[in-house]
Order: sequence, then C-alpha cells, then structure tokens
Amino acid sequence: MEKLFEQQVKRLQEHHFLILYWAALAEDKGLRYNITNAFDDLKFQGVTRTKQTAVAYIEALDVLNFIELKDESNRKNIYITEYGAEALAMLVSHKNFKTRKSGYLEVSR
Amino acid sequence: MSIGIGGAGSKLASLLDHGNATIVNVSEIELSKVEASNKILAVTHSSRGQFKGSGRNPEVGKTAFVSISDELYSLVKGNTVFSSTGGGTGNGISSIILKKIAEADSVHLLDRTMFGLLLPYVNRESSEFVENTIQFLLDPVSSAIDSGNTGNMVLFSNKLKFEARIAEADYNHMMIRSLQNFLDIPYKGESLQLLDGHIDHEDFNVYKSKPYFNHFTQFFYDTNRPFGDQLRENFNQLLLPPERSIEAMFLLEVPHIEQAPMLYNILDYFAEDDVTPAYGVVHNPNIEQPTVTVSLLYSRKPRELVDDFKQMADKLTRKKIKKSIEQFVKLEATPFDIQSEVKQMTTPPPVQEGEAPIPPPEVEKVAATEGNDVFSVLKRLRKLK
Repeated sequence: MEKLFEQQVKRLQEHHFLILYWAALAEDKGLRYNITNAFDDLKFQGVTRTKQTAVAYIEALDVLNFIELKDESNRKNIYITEYGAEALAMLVSHKNFKTRKSGYLEVSR
Repeated sequence: MSIGIGGAGSKLASLLDHGNATIVNVSEIELSKVEASNKILAVTHSSRGQFKGSGRNPEVGKTAFVSISDELYSLVKGNTVFSSTGGGTGNGISSIILKKIAEADSVHLLDRTMFGLLLPYVNRESSEFVENTIQFLLDPVSSAIDSGNTGNMVLFSNKLKFEARIAEADYNHMMIRSLQNFLDIPYKGESLQLLDGHIDHEDFNVYKSKPYFNHFTQFFYDTNRPFGDQLRENFNQLLLPPERSIEAMFLLEVPHIEQAPMLYNILDYFAEDDVTPAYGVVHNPNIEQPTVTVSLLYSRKPRELVDDFKQMADKLTRKKIKKSIEQFVKLEATPFDIQSEVKQMTTPPPVQEGEAPIPPPEVEKVAATEGNDVFSVLKRLRKLK
C-alpha cells in the first residue's frame, strides 16, 4: 500500500503540489480556499488559462483522496486530507517543487 | 534643378523651383505636404513607421539613404541641395551625400553640388538641433570642403526668423528671394544692356562650383560713402556673417548709363584685400538707385564654425544647469534600520512613577510561506502524524 502511495505522489506535478500547498496555507490562516481561487492562482502563475484544466487538476487530487471538496455556501472549498498532507510533506522533503505565492492568500493576509 | 532633403529642405527647394523640385523624405505625410514634381520616399526600418519622419534622429536618415542611394547621388550632381543641419532626415541623408562626395576621386566642375544648409538658432531651437548641427559641421561638411569636390555652401541661419518674429513661410520666401537675387546675376547680364565686365552662365557656374562658403547680399549703392562700410552694414541677415573673402563676384545695376564708373570704387575695395572679383555692370532703367549684388566666397573652416556653435550651446547649457541648481531641493537622507524600528515598536516605553505600564502591541501571527515551514503548517492542522 505504501508503495502505491509513493507511486501516486511521484506522479504529482507542480500544479498538484501548488494546490495542496495553497489549500494547506489557507486552512492554516482560517480561510476557505475554493476551486475559483485555485483557478485564479494557477492562471496568475501562468500554469493554465482555462478553468476546465484547473478543475481537472483538483478532481485528480480529489480522486486520490489528497483533498476533500466540500460544498459550502454554494462554493466548492478545498481541504487537504491526511493523505494529502503526507503527500505534500513528501514533495517538500524531496524538494521536487518550489513554492509560489497565491494571489488570493496575499490579498487576504 | 533643386533637391530638398527633409522637411525644411523640401520647402526651400519647392519655393526655388516653383514646385518642379525633387524632394526626399522618410515620411509620406511630409512628402505630401510639399509641392514637387518628383517625390522620393526613403525607406526606413524604424518601428515608428513611414508616416512619422525621423524625429530629429540623423541615424534614421542615414539608414534610409541606403534605399535611395544610387538615385539620389546621381540626381545631386550639378544641382542644388537644400537641407537643414539640425533635423533627422536632412542631416542624416545630406551627411552621407557629403561623405560620398568627399570620398570621390575628383568631381568635374559642372557636376559639383551647391548646398543650401539651414542652421538652427542656438538661443531658441532645441538642443538636439544644435547637437546634430555640430556633428554635421564637424564631420561631413568639413571633409567635403577639404576634398574640394563640392560647390558653394550657403549657410542660412534661423537667427533673424526668431529675433524678428517672422512666420516660417515668410522667412522661407525671404531666403529664396535672397538666393534668387544671386542666381539671377547671369540672367541680368544676358537680358539687360551690358556696360562693363561680363558674367555669363559659364562664368557663373564655375563660380558656383568652388568649394567655399558663399555669402551673398544685395543693397542700394551710394557712391558718396565707402563701399566697404556699406557692404558691412548690408551683410545678409539671412546668412551667417562672412569671413574675409577669397574670391568675389558682383553685379552693379545702374539706372543711368553714366553711373557705370561707380564700379571702380568697388574694385578698389576688393583690391585692398587682394581679391580680383568677377563683375558685370548693366543698365537697368527700371530701378531708381544703383543696386549692387555681391557674393563673397570665404573658406572659414567648419571647425571654427563648430566652435562658435559649441560656445553658444555651452552658454545655454550653463544657464540651464544654473536654473536646475536653483530649483534643486535637497532631500535629507533618513536612516532607517528595520530591526531597530521593530524593537522600538515592541519595547514598551519607560514607565513613569505612578503610571500603569502600557502593554506591548500584539504581533500578528505570520503564516509560514516557505517550503520548509509546510511541515509546521501541516502539524498545526493536525493532518501530519
């Protein structure tokens, strides 16, 4: 099972990492981070220009149980799961990707 | 035929040739503004396009010359070229023509080009015009004169235009009328009764093809006063003042035939300066007073001209600097050390006796943003075991 987890984490790309990272930071700050915020941040960082792509990244993380999508006040908010936290920690310790700033979290500071 | 290069040069050429001139510009709009039988658009590679001119940048004119090099160089031979020395197109294209002329082995007398150059007035025109002019006089004009391959150079000045507040169109007419007086010399010799001497078209063309600066003027001649005084009083205000002449030419027009001997006074004046001028005396019954049209060829080196320009430009620059110093506001440097500032903000002020201490301000919890702090975030969220 652990091997499967490692394989899953290995297949994560930078945009997955950023979504996990920004979702964790938002939760730490007591903010709700939804699909639109993630799309805006990915667009701002030049990762994607379409919302469908951003949604596809988020859905992939949801299928892997790395995040949980909750319908709250007509918004789909993103919460990192324990598996997602472990995956993020693994990515950070392996230094696969660099963190980037979230426009949403900067403004909401 | 005359050829006008750039905006100012085109206007002068068009006036002299009554619309039959050839004009050259890098801007289609500028070309369309001037009446001319032959309009040549020089191609630029400037991103500003073909409509906006060279924006006082001679490099644009120089680049554009490549596109019309052969056509223009063959056109200028034996003709008159008008150009400003300050603008981008005129200066740029004329510079290369002058350089090509200077590099030529030898140019036949009748193939030499007469140049009418319009110089800016330092006290009123932009520093770019003056700077461009200095470069123009220093290099292309200087080498062309030294090569001996050019014809006369006429140095028009904008000084009077600004000082007497004359509209540009009127001033252009004045310059061309003045030049026309000089160019009319052989025609008057041809059409009026000749009393003494003679300047035919061949003599005149040879005179025009000499590589000197030409200062021409026209005035009523009073025999009761020394000719030299009258000449100095009547130097052409539209041109830069001349130096001592090397060669000269004059046409004396007299209303009465018996006034013809007045010419000897003029010859005496030039003889004192070791100059033997070409001359003609004609009977012109349409005038009331004897009139003399004089041309002086002088060889003042462009280096000296440049020095004059530089001196004037330096004077102006010094005035500008003085003004900017007067307007300069000194800003005191404020030392700012962020650590000491933070320390000061977080350290409570000393408590006075009998006064309750003020609690330090709450420092906002700063969320971790660095990758290495992700662990602490995840632990705080209790999502990492």
